[in-house]
Amino acid sequence: MTQELNRVDPVAQIANLRVEIDGRAIVDGVNLRVLPGRVTALVGASGSGKTTTGLALLGEYPSGARVTGDVRVPEGGLVGYVPQHPAAVLNPARRVCALLNDIARTQVRHLPRRERRAATRELLLRALADAQLPDAEALLRRFPHQLSGGQQQRVVLAQALLLGARVIVADEPTTGQDALTKSRIVDQLSAVAAKGIAVVLLSHDLDVVRALADDVLVMRAGQVVESGPPERLWLAPRHEWTRRLLDARAPGPQHEPPPIAAQAVLHVRDMTARHRDGDRGTTVAVRVPELTVQAGECLAVVGRSGSGKTTLARCLAGLHRDHSGEILLDGRPLPHSLRQRDRDQLAAVQYVFQDARAAFDDYRPVLDQVARTAVRLRGADAETAEAEALATLTRLGLPEELASRRPARLSGGELQRAALARALLAQPRVLLCDEITSGLDTVTRRGLLDVLAGLLRDRDDLSLVLITHDLDTARLAHRIAVLDAGELVEQGPAPRVLTEPRHPFTVSLMETTARLAAGT
Amino acid sequence: MRFTGRFALGVAVIGVPLVLALLGPLFAGDPGPRATSFTLGDGHWLGTDFVGRDVWQQVLHGGRPVVVTALAATALAYAVALPLGLLSALTHRRWLEELLMRPLDVLLAVPSLLLILLVASVFEPGAVGLALLVAAVNIPDAARIVRAAAAEAAARPAVEALRMQGETWWRMAVGYVGRATLRTLAADAGVRLTGVLYLVATAAFLGVGVAPDAADWAVMVDRNRIGLAVQPWAVVVPALLIIALTTGSNLLFDAALDQRGTAASSHRSTDKERRP
Repeated sequence: MTQELNRVDPVAQIANLRVEIDGRAIVDGVNLRVLPGRVTALVGASGSGKTTTGLALLGEYPSGARVTGDVRVPEGGLVGYVPQHPAAVLNPARRVCALLNDIARTQVRHLPRRERRAATRELLLRALADAQLPDAEALLRRFPHQLSGGQQQRVVLAQALLLGARVIVADEPTTGQDALTKSRIVDQLSAVAAKGIAVVLLSHDLDVVRALADDVLVMRAGQVVESGPPERLWLAPRHEWTRRLLDARAPGPQHEPPPIAAQAVLHVRDMTARHRDGDRGTTVAVRVPELTVQAGECLAVVGRSGSGKTTLARCLAGLHRDHSGEILLDGRPLPHSLRQRDRDQLAAVQYVFQDARAAFDDYRPVLDQVARTAVRLRGADAETAEAEALATLTRLGLPEELASRRPARLSGGELQRAALARALLAQPRVLLCDEITSGLDTVTRRGLLDVLAGLLRDRDDLSLVLITHDLDTARLAHRIAVLDAGELVEQGPAPRVLTEPRHPFTVSLMETTARLAAGT
Repeated sequence: MRFTGRFALGVAVIGVPLVLALLGPLFAGDPGPRATSFTLGDGHWLGTDFVGRDVWQQVLHGGRPVVVTALAATALAYAVALPLGLLSALTHRRWLEELLMRPLDVLLAVPSLLLILLVASVFEPGAVGLALLVAAVNIPDAARIVRAAAAEAAARPAVEALRMQGETWWRMAVGYVGRATLRTLAADAGVRLTGVLYLVATAAFLGVGVAPDAADWAVMVDRNRIGLAVQPWAVVVPALLIIALTTGSNLLFDAALDQRGTAASSHRSTDKERRP
């Protein structure tokens, strides 16, 4: 920190904070100065203590925690918090205007009664404008579930601004968002900081941190291992861990050429998938005239959230029945619903879910659940299945000691490996991976991508379909298909799509990613 | 620990009527000669009832019909509601779901006591008939709750993952969905048992399914009402036992659910050391 900055009084300060649960320190000796109008970022892998430190500013600690150290917050203790899942903090039964009114009302008590209404209204509109929410009038009449995730996030931000918070803690605001949405969030947070409000950013999204932060604290196992301005950190990281974290950004692209003269394993023809939309009939979710997956190739399906890429994968897996057209496996049509698929067809197309934790049964050990695939889909007996499951899990980096635990005691990255193992035990021809790296920190993500690359190398007959919004992940693929608003707008070899995109949407997606990565 | 405290309280409150009901008949012994109606003392330490029988004897004999009928009715209601609810939650065929649930809605619209009295006036059911009737009026609610709880669990990715594994219906429905909804269903079973006890006692009080002079706690409350001023024990003791049974079963289910809750998630009882 420079001399000049030291002269500015911090709006909030944490000194030597230590948070301990059952004798284990989650946060250990953290010092943090939050300066007005600046963005302070805490980065680190999941479980490094970022969120605990951020929540300490709100006076919140995990239950049963022993806390020592000093936390000073602005007078009145007004610290705003924008959680990772904003829907969880918005009352679903009330309209946006009611949610905001509750807070605004407390700000106008000093006014005479008849002026309060107009003053409240004005406060509301100003807060929404500050939170970068255009079209406020229409938005105020909606319920939280009628807003997109990004809009919900901004409503929570508007609540914090209405309160007059001088510090805002944003917890993983960009996790699981596509590049375009991310850049909008960056704009919105920098606009907040420009108003003289201190922003504390908790994130493992390094592109966003680099674009936004004035000051970065790198955390590992509850301790700050390095801190400084992002330019210095990126150019000359001093600590070994920082180097690993930053290095993990760039996964190695797939240089090998796609297998030549390969035969199409999966062939999609004239497929139109629909969603039932309440009483208003159906809406078309995705339309694919023609798409093939070759044996041994890796195909990335890229698009923004809501572009229909997950629906496409679910149709292939037989999880979304409501579609017309044909899906051919080795030239023979696959039944639309997996209930009608026979054992071999089920085994041939396997699906790995985005949220690994939700995709496992909480009450049984992971190993048992993984082994069932071999029992059900390949007719192995219980013992062989367990031995095979163990071998596969170990190969993917999950030793027996971890695999015999229940899902709650594994991390997100470990569970995702287990989910991969569960699908692989079926010896599938096509493996559909739905956003399996989103929500993971950079180090874990690279580990998982390495696993996928290893699979492609080792098993010639396995085809991968990666559903992703992240172009870094898409680099792993041989071919890329781009979806926008349910239409297949472009497909081609990965190097070509990534370097000279043809469709305007692909171009804008590339530009935003490049802009974020460049840190501007 | 306050949870074990609550647990012990529940066990103590439900233990007395349950032990009396289940083991009472074994220790009742010989009924002995009848004495004068509604007297106290004279070897009868809870006095005599409206026909001069020993009240303690009657109490020992009278719990079993109430408790057994209530437990059997609750078990029977769930035995039907569980498969119905799980089947309609896990099927993707709308018509099957409608077929299973709609007829129950009709039953749901009829007040339960009215239905019992109506059927009783035509068929004059015995104890088994009463258990069947009480079970029948409880099936619609129970099936709805099972279906609602199971539908939520059945929509999770875990079920789709099981489908991708080609898992059997039994493993999905019972092994996963049933397991995941256990907490909700246990809470419902506690409330339902109380409701069933109330219904069985009310029916017996009104004379459905039991003889007018039967040894039955509910019948005792009804028949001995006239002597309440002279010999209160013949009413108070069986009434208290029924109250203890319902209250105790609720306390016990609450305590059991709390313990599961704390085992599942970290509990919030420990205070923060300090709030800076």
